[in-house]
Amino acid sequence: MHSLDVFFNPKSVAIVGATPKTGKVGRVILENFKRKFKGKVYAVNPKYREVLGVPSYPTLKDIPEDIDLGVIAIPAPSVPQVVRDAADKNVKGLIIISGGFSEVGEEGRKLEEEIKKIIIEYGIRVIGPNCLGVYDAFSGVDTFFLPEERMRRPVKGPIAIISQSGAFAATILDWAAPRGIGIGKAVSYGNKIDVDDIELMKYFEKDPTVKAILIYIEGLKKGQGLKFIETAREIVKSKPILILKGGKTKRGVEAAASHTAALAGTYELYKAAFKQAGIIEACGFEDLFDMAKALTTQPPAQGKRVLVLTDAGGMGVMATDALESLGLEVPELSDSIKSVLKEKLPPHCIIRNPVDLTGDATDERYKIVLDTVLPSNEVDVALVITQMQVPTLTEKIVDYIYEATKYRKPIVVCMTGSEFTEEIAKKIESKNIPVYPSPERAAKAVWALYKYNVYRTRVG
Amino acid sequence: MNIVNEAKKIIEKAYSEGRRHLWEDEAKYLCSLYGIPVAKSKVAKSEDEALKIANEIGYPIVMKIVSPDILHKSDVGGVVVGVKNDEELVKSYRQILENVRKRVPKARIIGILIQEYAPQGLEVIVGAIKDAFFGHTVMFGLGGVFVEVLKDVTFRVTPVSREEAEEMIKEIKAYQILRGVRGIKPRDINALVDIITKVSKLLEYHPEIVEMDLNPIMLYEEGKGAKVIDARILLEPKS
Repeated sequence: MHSLDVFFNPKSVAIVGATPKTGKVGRVILENFKRKFKGKVYAVNPKYREVLGVPSYPTLKDIPEDIDLGVIAIPAPSVPQVVRDAADKNVKGLIIISGGFSEVGEEGRKLEEEIKKIIIEYGIRVIGPNCLGVYDAFSGVDTFFLPEERMRRPVKGPIAIISQSGAFAATILDWAAPRGIGIGKAVSYGNKIDVDDIELMKYFEKDPTVKAILIYIEGLKKGQGLKFIETAREIVKSKPILILKGGKTKRGVEAAASHTAALAGTYELYKAAFKQAGIIEACGFEDLFDMAKALTTQPPAQGKRVLVLTDAGGMGVMATDALESLGLEVPELSDSIKSVLKEKLPPHCIIRNPVDLTGDATDERYKIVLDTVLPSNEVDVALVITQMQVPTLTEKIVDYIYEATKYRKPIVVCMTGSEFTEEIAKKIESKNIPVYPSPERAAKAVWALYKYNVYRTRVG
Repeated sequence: MNIVNEAKKIIEKAYSEGRRHLWEDEAKYLCSLYGIPVAKSKVAKSEDEALKIANEIGYPIVMKIVSPDILHKSDVGGVVVGVKNDEELVKSYRQILENVRKRVPKARIIGILIQEYAPQGLEVIVGAIKDAFFGHTVMFGLGGVFVEVLKDVTFRVTPVSREEAEEMIKEIKAYQILRGVRGIKPRDINALVDIITKVSKLLEYHPEIVEMDLNPIMLYEEGKGAKVIDARILLEPKS
């Protein structure tokens, strides 16, 4: 058993600071567990014998049964005593939600040191303090103290999120929920006195429910840069890591004596580190999830040659521009492929790359092109544009695109439009094929599939 | 092992003299120990010494003032390029000292650096810093406006492999210039990869180095190598 399992799959949980008072952190967390968690839940609060129907005890030590995980939501000065109780009780892991530690100053730093000493001595694992903790859609562990009616939880899915910022993690979950983005796990680790980003990455590498690891980071711990790079480099061989870096401002360079020092902004070094690690950097959270969607549903692109298939010439041109500016290629098709297509498609279709099926495109034409080009060794990935405004296209396009996944090359779909388009887009996405509302965003997703393959197969 | 010890001696000497920077000739010697090609140079403290060094290196030579108080040597008339013989050398020696005494009367003068004359090449810069989070990090870019105005540079955290050094070179916007463009012949990229990886190696053995600039490096045509013209190395405060 991994020592971090206790945070995601505990058998029993005690919430220290659970309270019936509305709006309080301790109440929201207890409600979360009551609603979704399948294991045993206890409250710890000396003022009550039960809280919202859950038995409550004065201290952790008073609970008559074993406790795997303790969640602490009480003021900072009282936390060390609870940690000592947890040590006596043999609690395996603690999530310390409370703030008021090193982030506020010297006094808080001392409390943190006190806690560190105890957990090292007793081998207790800790997430936090000053964090939102853990959200696990599979087990029902949810210490995010933001009520469901304010912060929706997304559906279960293959994405795991590691966030240095609690607010970022919460916002992302709420934002992802109505978009149908599946997130299985999210961790906000706060001051990381014990469990940190590097250890969580490694943990998610081994978690079979996780297909992509998304990280929000502002800064690493001092001296951890190389370890971060080396760990990520190993993980990306089996799973993609995407990152969003917060805080891109320059370091103080006033005293820089050399050119190099004057140019070495902190962000420049992070960018270099991400490249060396094989981590894909996103430029915003929409971009982050666009790429994650492709990487969790499609195989990596074995090369940079893209088939652009469209029923709208202009969209095809825009997609080609976007792909090429990202360093991808939209190669001319061979004469033999072209002659097959010419034979099967009406003469007014434009047969080069992009292949333009024009404004009277039918579902069958898409099928013909996909079945002819994808099995060949001329392209590595397909960007399929289906402008549904064309009345000859029907819902059958969904199945034709889906059937083309049998060629084991990634397919990314772009469709721009209103209600009808969105309805078809949903149906395509339900087949695990990513759809984007603009050629640029689709192109970026294709790029991520290519870039990840480069990182994944890189030697050493 | 000998190389590392020899290099450590240079650093120890600087510390023992209360310096956190290496003199230009020390910095270059340190680089040369790790196989980085540098323009040969030595500090002369007298005219006689200057003559001796110049004849060892061979004319033509370059002469540069060495002073802890002078950062921009050519601005104060502290540099003479293309000195061809003994006679010119003596003349230039006196001229440099006169220029410097006139323009920066309080400057402490260590001597005059006598340096091999290296023909003009494409100027590139390789540097390094020690960062609190990532440790030693190597930078590469083209010299002059490319680095100063366009900031067209790239970084890698050490250790930097040959593959990564190649990636760095290909990554800058000015890469086309290295590959040859309109009258500029393709450059010796292999020599550049060598320098970058050797700098990475050097840093591994000398954690005291906090800043390093090899600037400029003359990068010659394919197969003709490269040469470090100026080198600066700054050490961390002695603990």
